[in-house]
Order: sequence, then structure tokens, then C-alpha cells
Amino acid sequence: MKKIVTTALAGAMALGASFAQAADDVTLQLKWVTQAQFAGYYVAQDKGFYEEEDLNVTIKPGGPDIAPAQVIAGGGADVVLDWMPSALASREKGLDLVNIAQPYKSSGMMLTCRKDAGVSSPDDFPGKTLGVWFFGNEYPFLSWMSKLGLKTDGSDGGVTVLKQGFNVDPLLQKQAACVSTMTYNEYWQVIDAGLTPEELVVFKYEDQGVATLEDGMYVLGENLKDEAFKDKMVRFVRASMKGWKYAEENPDEAAMIVLDNDATGAQTEKHQKRMMSEVAKLTAGSNGALDEADYRRTVDSLLTAGSDPVITKEPEGAYTLEITDAALK
Amino acid sequence: MIWIVFVLVFWAAAWRVNIVLTAQKPNRFNAFAVPALFGITLLLLWEGFVRGFGISPVLLPAPSAIAVTFSQNLPVLWGDFVQTFVKGALSGYIIGCGAAILVAVAVDRSPFLQRGLLPVGNFVAALPIIGLAPIMVMWFGFDWQSKAAVVVAMVFFPVLVNTVQGLQASDAMQRDLMRTYAASYPQALMKLRLPAAMPFIFNGLKIATTLALIGAIVAEFFGSPIKGMGFRISTEVGRLALDMVWAEIAVAAIAGSAFYGLVALLEKGVTFWHPSQRG
Amino acid sequence: MRNILPVLTVVLAVFALWYGGAVMLNKNWAYDKAERAGVELSFGEMVRDTMTQEKPRLPPPHQVGAELWKTTGAMVQRGRAFSKRSLIYHGWITLSSTMLGFVFGTGLGILLAIGIVHNRAMDKSVMPWIIASQTIPILAIAPMIVVVLASAQVDDLIAKGVISMYLSFFPVVVGMVKGLRSPDHMQMDQMRTWNASRGQTFWKLRLPASAPYLFASLKVGIAASLIGAVVAELSLSQDGGLGARMLVGSYYGQTVQIWSALIAAATLAALMVASIGLVQRVTLKRMGMAQ
Repeated sequence: MKKIVTTALAGAMALGASFAQAADDVTLQLKWVTQAQFAGYYVAQDKGFYEEEDLNVTIKPGGPDIAPAQVIAGGGADVVLDWMPSALASREKGLDLVNIAQPYKSSGMMLTCRKDAGVSSPDDFPGKTLGVWFFGNEYPFLSWMSKLGLKTDGSDGGVTVLKQGFNVDPLLQKQAACVSTMTYNEYWQVIDAGLTPEELVVFKYEDQGVATLEDGMYVLGENLKDEAFKDKMVRFVRASMKGWKYAEENPDEAAMIVLDNDATGAQTEKHQKRMMSEVAKLTAGSNGALDEADYRRTVDSLLTAGSDPVITKEPEGAYTLEITDAALK
Repeated sequence: MIWIVFVLVFWAAAWRVNIVLTAQKPNRFNAFAVPALFGITLLLLWEGFVRGFGISPVLLPAPSAIAVTFSQNLPVLWGDFVQTFVKGALSGYIIGCGAAILVAVAVDRSPFLQRGLLPVGNFVAALPIIGLAPIMVMWFGFDWQSKAAVVVAMVFFPVLVNTVQGLQASDAMQRDLMRTYAASYPQALMKLRLPAAMPFIFNGLKIATTLALIGAIVAEFFGSPIKGMGFRISTEVGRLALDMVWAEIAVAAIAGSAFYGLVALLEKGVTFWHPSQRG
Repeated sequence: MRNILPVLTVVLAVFALWYGGAVMLNKNWAYDKAERAGVELSFGEMVRDTMTQEKPRLPPPHQVGAELWKTTGAMVQRGRAFSKRSLIYHGWITLSSTMLGFVFGTGLGILLAIGIVHNRAMDKSVMPWIIASQTIPILAIAPMIVVVLASAQVDDLIAKGVISMYLSFFPVVVGMVKGLRSPDHMQMDQMRTWNASRGQTFWKLRLPASAPYLFASLKVGIAASLIGAVVAELSLSQDGGLGARMLVGSYYGQTVQIWSALIAAATLAALMVASIGLVQRVTLKRMGMAQ
């Protein structure tokens, strides 16, 4: 069925192309592998929203070794999805990343702990082993810990940090008291593995007041000087947000579209549908425009992060509302 | 542009010097100077192209920038080196190679088992054992033990296969001679067959040096404490601190070459009698 | 063929160890689960549970076998051999980047070896660095290389091939240098008495003499090339491939999937080495060099 649709689409596209001028190419680099976390973009692609805006979008999935910032610096993408802490850290490294849209309103990040490891509140953290993702995802955690006044270098009275792989095994194998999870993904892997919600304690970054903005769209500042590029981005953001809103309303369909786009064939329907419904809760509050209060909170939390702040000075020009203003008119 | 021209001129000059040097009678000086000059040329080419073409430091930093980072971060690099090389790679190397040689000697008396082990061992030696890394991390935890376990799995079979082959290397005449001396099995093993196997064993040991380092580093990608060469490489790529990544790679290259050199030196001492060492 | 019985014995021993290991490693989870459910497990029940867990620490062979069949044979029967869920599809992707890297690696290796044998300056200056090059953990920096290549708009397939090439050229250089130098003084002198040019010496003596060495190092090279491809796929998982299967399997804790991808990679390696062995036998026989 899917095949027929794509063939028909391809045919329609070829036909359309002969009338209209060639569509503008946009390459989007995702932060992680193909999954419902990025449903909006796949839906926009599959439902032809990009095409309506005369865009020819290529979606490149990421992975554990792919740093979106590096890809955009190398010219491998026009737009990348990244978390704001790591984007701001890249800015300090001299890469001019600018946030043009923020489809995720809330943070999905949390620390999931086993009750039987003796954790019931952040006061119990000292002396425990906590699993954290690195590769640019460690910043929210580090700034939370320094807010709590806990050392992460393994010294006494602090916490022991271990770099967790891509799964929740350290929690299941009792190698760590807590591991990092996303509300829409890893948490459910813990549940699937046989632990019950009653056996777990979760600390959402949102609830702890240390939430940072996730999965924003970033482009290179120098490109924004080009009017043609800006126009392309306006159309891209508009179509992507249309995709997101469609995905929120039709989570099951969106999940199936994501599954169809998974090249590894390893994702499961049950997990993606669940992920989509969780993701919808995080994107629901956003129309695409960056909320300056959220930005402020993220920057403050990163700047004040104790002795080893993630960023050392107030960023300037790290975001623009120009694109979303034009797109959402 | 000036940089690129300079580098190309330097390249041509260095090549010329090397041709002159190698035309002379080989001595200690040019045995060292020729490769060194070539290495310097490579580094200068790199530096020149990075500067000449203005390549962004988040893609490829210049060697000079890497050297600066290297010298500024010696304590961190040393800590990573100890974690990954000494604890992970070296202990795994010793356990893996030791076990392989012991197993080879243990099955030595049974030609039946040898015939079975050799093809299976050859098969396993060609496998992408590195794929076991995530599994080992699951079994042995996050610290260096799981890294050592990956290294053991990676070095075991190449060394085993080489040792088994080596133990068959003494020829019939020599073994007959031992028999005419009424040598017992342990005597024949210690005095003839093990020494005769040494060139083969060392061949395996040398292959294993590079495997050990790669295994220990890649295993850290699948979970690690917050130190180690593999941890640093993957984390700093994410932070776009590529100069630090390359400093870590330099440590790996130096450690790897020194390790290989050490084993090669040991080989020279042990197998001084072999034609390949007399050459 | 006299090796069949011993090989079978060893393989059986491996399977026995495997089953034993599966029970040992999976029993904790079984007990853990039972404890939380508040039931006592007898030994027999425990063993039965370790054989059928959904996410075992070590899947027993029959689980891996079932998964392998499900993703290969069963897919073929339904005519979906090249669906994205089939290991044949992923094996094919891995094979193509392996072969690309292998061909380039072999070509580069042979060219370098020819240069080294004929040019003293090259021998003295390049050879030490070729050895040093292998001490760089290329696999560790594969993702970075891939991204840098992408900035030059290089195709993914070629980016993966580069990693394979880097690993496979080394054994070929070493083997070919040895092979091209294998003709002894007598044979070289013979060429000289015939007043053969360097080119003639190369084509008529050195090259044929190097054939056995070449094949031996090709076998090592193709195995190395496969490892390179698998590791490169860990970073370029969007294209699929056996490495991507392992990665996603690890990501979701699907151990059965990891093991079946490993076995598939092993089979691929064995097939490739065996086919080079076949070419070797035929070629050396026709060259009159078969032992």
C-alpha cells in the first residue's frame, strides 16, 4: 500500500516538477535515530507539507556518534536539531548556531531511580552511582548537580557518574542507582524490561527547575544574512510545524509513518506509538516560536552552574524570532 | 596561499634530501632521519592545508593547535591513559595472550583437538569480535573489567592459532633427534618445540598489540566511567573540542607504537636465531 | 575431510558452553523476576525460564537460531528477502561497503608495495609510518572521519569504504612487500643475465612470485575490511547494515538481535574468506604453484 502511495507521489512530483520551477533543497540533520521524537518532520515529508511549500527536504537520521553541530559546520546539513545547552556550548567554541524555531515546549528529560537502591529524593544522591549520557547531553545534568552542590568528579560527598550507553541496562543490572531517561523513550524500556512504576522514582528536570530546551531547529548565523535562505527557512518551519500539529492530532498514524522511514527495521510499533503519545505532551505547548522566558531560564541555569559553568558568558544572537514571526503570520 | 606554496616546496625539498640520504651507506643516523623527515613533512602538509584553506577547527584542527592542547592537558591525558591502556588494554592483553598460549600447550598432546581447534579458531579470529563490546559491558560492568574482557576476546584467537601452528613448526628430524636423546615430553616441549614456536607466537603477539588498544577504546563507547581514552574521544567530539580528540589520538598512536616496539624488541631478544632476525 | 570429526567435537563443546553460560548469566534475572512476583522457582523452572527470556543477557543458541531464520529464511519464503527487516538486506549493505573498501585497500596496498620495493627512499621513509598508521585506533575516530568526509559531499557508501580501506590496505602492503621480495638472489641474477629490464623483472618474476603472499594477505584484509564496515555502520546507522542492527539492538537491549547480527557477520566473513581461498586454489593451480 505504502509503496503504491510513494510511487503515485513520485509520479505526481515528477509531473509537478515539470510545471513548477525546481523545488528548493533543504537537508535536516536529526539528533538521534529515526523515531517518533522526530515525528513532525517525517509527517511533513510524508503528507507532502514540504512539497506544498515547494521544498525538497532530505531528512538525515543521527546516531550516537553524530554531533549535529559538526555536521552543519561541515556543510552536511542546512538545519540541525539540537539541545540548547549543547548548541550554546558550540557557540562558545566559535560555531555560530542560531535557534530559529522551538517545537518542543517542555523538556522530556528525567532521572529514573530504583527505590531498592535507596533513592527517594535528591538528598539521597551523594555516594550513589548515576548514569548520564554524554556527547553534549551531559550539560543539563551537570548544571543540576552543581545547583545541588554535588561534585561529579568522584570525590567524597559527591556522586559517581558513569557514562551510560544507549540503553537502560545499568539500571536493570543494578550497576547504577539512577539512569537518565526520556519520558517518551528510555523510561518505557525500563517498564518493558519488567520493572513496575511503583519500584521506580523519577525526577523530571522540569519539576526540579533545571529544565533546558530540547530539540530546537538551528542554522548557521552567516546563512541567515541571505534573504533566499531565510525565505526557505520560513517555509520549512511552517511546513514542519504543520507536520507536528498533525502528528499531535493523529499519533498512531504519525507513529506508522515513522516506522515506514526506519531504515534499520528494528523499531517496534508498540514502542513508537507510545513514544508518539508522550512526545505530543511535550510539543503541545509550542506553536514553533521560541518562548523568550524559556530561553532565559535555560541560559541562567547554564551560566550559574557552579564552579564549572557550561557557558561562561551571556550568549548574544543565539536565537532569532524573525523566522517564526514570518512563518506563523 | 603562501602556506600551501611553502608546504609544497618543503615537500619537494624533503623528498630530495631523503633520496640523497638513502643513497648513502645506511647508518644509524639516516635510519632514523629519513622516516622522521617524512613524518615532519606530513605534519607540515597538514598544518599548511588547514591554514591555507581555512578549515574550521571543529572539523580538523591544525597540528600546532593539537600540540598546544596536548601540553596543556597532560594530567587528564595521563589519567585516561592509565584507565584505558594500563588497566583495560594491558591487563586484557596479558590475560588473553597468556590463556591462549596455555590452551595451545594444553591441547598440544591431542592432535584430535588441535585439528578441531585450528579451523574453528581461524574462523573466530576473522570475526568482528568488536561487536561483543556492548555485551561485555552488560556482563562485566562499566569499569575497566569489561574493557579487559573485550580485549581478551579479541586477542585470544589470533594468539591461539599462531601458537598451535608454531608448536607444529619443528621438523621431523629435530623431533627424532629429541627422541634419540630419550627426552621426555616436557623436555622436548621446553627445549625444542616452544623455542621453535617463538617466531609464530610473537607474530600473534604483535598482531594482538594493536587489537588490544582498539578493543579497549571502542568498548568505552558503550558505557564507561567518566575517564578513559574512548570516553574522552566520544565526549569531546560531542563538545566539538576536536583538538582534545586529536591529542587523545596522539596518545593512542604513541602508546600503540611503543607497545608494538616493545614486543618487537622482545622478539629480537628471544628469537635471535631465526633467519628473519639475522637478515 | 578427516578434520570433520574434530571440528564437530569442538563446535559441540562450544554449544554446550553456550547453553551453560546462558543458564548461568540469565538465572539472576529469572530469580529477580520470581522474587518480585513472590514465587519460588525450582531448578527446572529456572532453567526453562533462562531459555525463553525476552531480553536475556546471553540468548541461548536456539533463540538466536529462531531469530536468524525469522529474518532470513522466513523472509525469503514470503518473498520479502530485501525488506528492511531482513538480515539479507542488511548483510547486502555491509557487503557492498566491505567490498568497496577491500578493492580500494587492495589497490592502494599493491601500489604502495610496488613503490616500496622499487624506491629505496620510499622504503625507508614510508614503511615505518605505514606500521605506525595501524596503531591509530581508526575505529575510534571513524564517526569523525565520516563527518569530515561528508563536508566534502562524499557519499555515505564511500565514507564507510574509507574506513574499510584503511584497515585492509595494511596486510596487503606487508604481504606484497614480502612477496615481491621473495625471489632469491639466484633468480634475480638469472633475470640479469637475460638483460631483463626492471619492468620485465617485475612482470615475469616478482609479480608471479608474490601471488601466494598476496592471497594470504587478502584473506586477512577482507576480514579486516568487514570489521571496518561494521564499525563504520555504527556511526552511519541511518543506512542500515549489520553494524546498525547491532547498534539498535544494543540501544533497545535486544540481545537476541545483537547476537543474530553477530552470527550473520561471522557467516559473511567466513563466506568471503572461503571464496578468496577458492580463487587462490584455482589461480595457484593454473600458475603451477599449488602445494
